[in-house]
Amino acid sequence: MIAIQHEDVDIGRLIEEAKQPGTGAVVVFDGVVRDDDVREMELEAYEEVALRELEKIAEEAKKLHTLLHVDIVHRIGRLSVGENILIIVVSAGHRPQAYAGSRYIIEEIKKGVPIWKKELRKDGDRWVPGEHPHGSGKPRS
Amino acid sequence: MTVKIRFFARFRELLGTDILVEKKSGTMLATLVKDIALEKKEGYDAIFDANGNFREFVIVMRNGKRLEPAETATVMVADGDEIAVFPPVAGG
Repeated sequence: MIAIQHEDVDIGRLIEEAKQPGTGAVVVFDGVVRDDDVREMELEAYEEVALRELEKIAEEAKKLHTLLHVDIVHRIGRLSVGENILIIVVSAGHRPQAYAGSRYIIEEIKKGVPIWKKELRKDGDRWVPGEHPHGSGKPRS
Repeated sequence: MTVKIRFFARFRELLGTDILVEKKSGTMLATLVKDIALEKKEGYDAIFDANGNFREFVIVMRNGKRLEPAETATVMVADGDEIAVFPPVAGG
């Protein structure tokens, strides 16, 4: 499942679906809204492009790290502290591939997928600055 | 010809989004974006530097494909194009 959506997702169900024949390890990354004096988080995406980028990252991760299954669900809209923002579920034959594949996916998302976060803070709102300035992300498109 | 401009994140807040503009063919991409951005000084200053060039961190896409900074000054838009302009991404 590769998706950009408002709704949360059943992580337990994703884990079960990730257990393809040959699976020896499932790794789950769950990015959540942190309580940094933040009331809520507003997430926005260039949806058509972001979804295409996520699909490419998933395919790359499968090939590079011999993953058996990949789910990436990135949420958009308004989220409260503690809510899930990004869920990545990967499975592989062994834990090194599963850990490396999961790490690869999150780092690639941060480099180049057009999604933005705005913190709605107690002391005023603030767009979260990107970690990668123009040019450092690998352009896929 | 008709071209759609989409701003995202802070640029969207300053300038709006899904803006349809009518231009004559041969219009440069940078000129098109500049004309829209000039409607609000704060929006213009967020995207362009004092010399009228896209700021270094600004990302420009044409029909979902990213343009390199040097290309933005030389590319002409075509009828039906979708131009996206946004700050560095911060997903995850």
